Amino acid sequence: MSSRDSIKGTVKDYILTEFLPGTSPSELGDQTPLIQGAILDSLATVQLVAFLEERFGIEVQAHEASVDHLNTLDDITALVQQKMG
Amino acid sequence: MDFALSAEQQELREAIVKFARAELSSGVIARDRDQSFPRDLWRQCAQMGLMGLPVPEEYGGSGLDPLTCAVALEALGYGCSDNGLSFSICAHLLACVVPVWKFGTEEQKGRLLPGLCDGTLIGGHAMTEPGSGSDAFALRTRAVADGDGFRLTGTKTFISNAPQGDVLIVFAVTDEEKGYFGGVTGFVLERGMQGFRSGPKMEKMGLRTAPLGDLILEDAVVPRGAVLGAVGGGAGVFSHAMDWERSLLFAIHIGGAERLMEQAVTYARTRMQFGQRIGKFQAVAHRIADMKVNLEAARLLVYRAAWKLGRVRNVSMDASMAKLFTSEMLVRTAMDTVQVFGGYGFATEYEVERALRDAVGSTLYSGTSEMQRSIIARWMGL
Repeated sequence: MSSRDSIKGTVKDYILTEFLPGTSPSELGDQTPLIQGAILDSLATVQLVAFLEERFGIEVQAHEASVDHLNTLDDITALVQQKMG
Repeated sequence: MDFALSAEQQELREAIVKFARAELSSGVIARDRDQSFPRDLWRQCAQMGLMGLPVPEEYGGSGLDPLTCAVALEALGYGCSDNGLSFSICAHLLACVVPVWKFGTEEQKGRLLPGLCDGTLIGGHAMTEPGSGSDAFALRTRAVADGDGFRLTGTKTFISNAPQGDVLIVFAVTDEEKGYFGGVTGFVLERGMQGFRSGPKMEKMGLRTAPLGDLILEDAVVPRGAVLGAVGGGAGVFSHAMDWERSLLFAIHIGGAERLMEQAVTYARTRMQFGQRIGKFQAVAHRIADMKVNLEAARLLVYRAAWKLGRVRNVSMDASMAKLFTSEMLVRTAMDTVQVFGGYGFATEYEVERALRDAVGSTLYSGTSEMQRSIIARWMGL
């Protein structure tokens, strides 16, 4: 499994467990809109950022906690990959 | 684990208590009645270093860590019976000075922090709107790109320090499609900017010496250099400010509750009824014992949140627990102190009725108790 797939899988598991309990993994796609689809509200977004920082050892800046970087699994994976170098 | 304050923290605490008792606590009954903000005392507090506690010395602050800031603010709350003044100082420090220090450019920090720390400038923070309180997503204030800057339109309400404010951090929607995360930006507005004015001072139940009012933005034109942090980064700026505010503002209430409890103890040891001191009655003694237990529990929560604030990136749940417990403890302590004082507690002269009126707002500002419980529950996975 590539680093990208591994990051995406970890984030997907977290979102399914924390914010979509009981939802089939097949219903959460790489492009499912998380913020604009109201899966992540303000509190959930803060929780997701805290999880990403702790799990991957990165720092997400205030302006990066946005729909541009956190709206889909693909966006989140790209952000984490970029931060991890 | 060491629960003791360092020698430096104890010295700081003693110095602030001595200063606050000597300089800040006389004339409060009249100021409360007149809703008068003591600008002269504000300057004295600045000289004491209270306006820039955590800010690095190069910008005019004291460079203290968050836990030591909590100790300092607790001392202010303990020594100063003008709770409105203490509240105003915290609103200035935690919701304006800290975000400018944490997110400002070098130009913003160099230009604004020295005046904010030395008391020349009064700061505030404007998020709440008539239709957007706990529901920050309902923000209506808009900022539209205009030439090299932005044009802001909207109304903010319940803004602490707005009627006296020189520097206000205003949150506005810059991109409706992106919504709260990515579509809200913080701006530093300065008195004198075109199209920006404060409304009249609001009449209120408590904290009457703290100025509170609306902020009206009518095509306020601000330069691009007024953006705090990045365009679209307002949500992060706001939540960081709330972490500081919920962790440290409530330190003043630890001090205030301790002062009230000591008043209750003194009164219960001297007031005679039925041939004995009223503190000998179990109904009174147990009430005061509960005050002590709740006070010490609140102190631990506030200290822990403050300690974490200096060490970990996210203190949201700790800050909410400290805020929730301390504010509700303060209201109970104030109510119980009035009850211990009996009829005298109802009289303005004894100053505990004012403490009760001042306490009530603490369960509302910085997010209501209901919001804090929701935040805590969410962090528990509920």
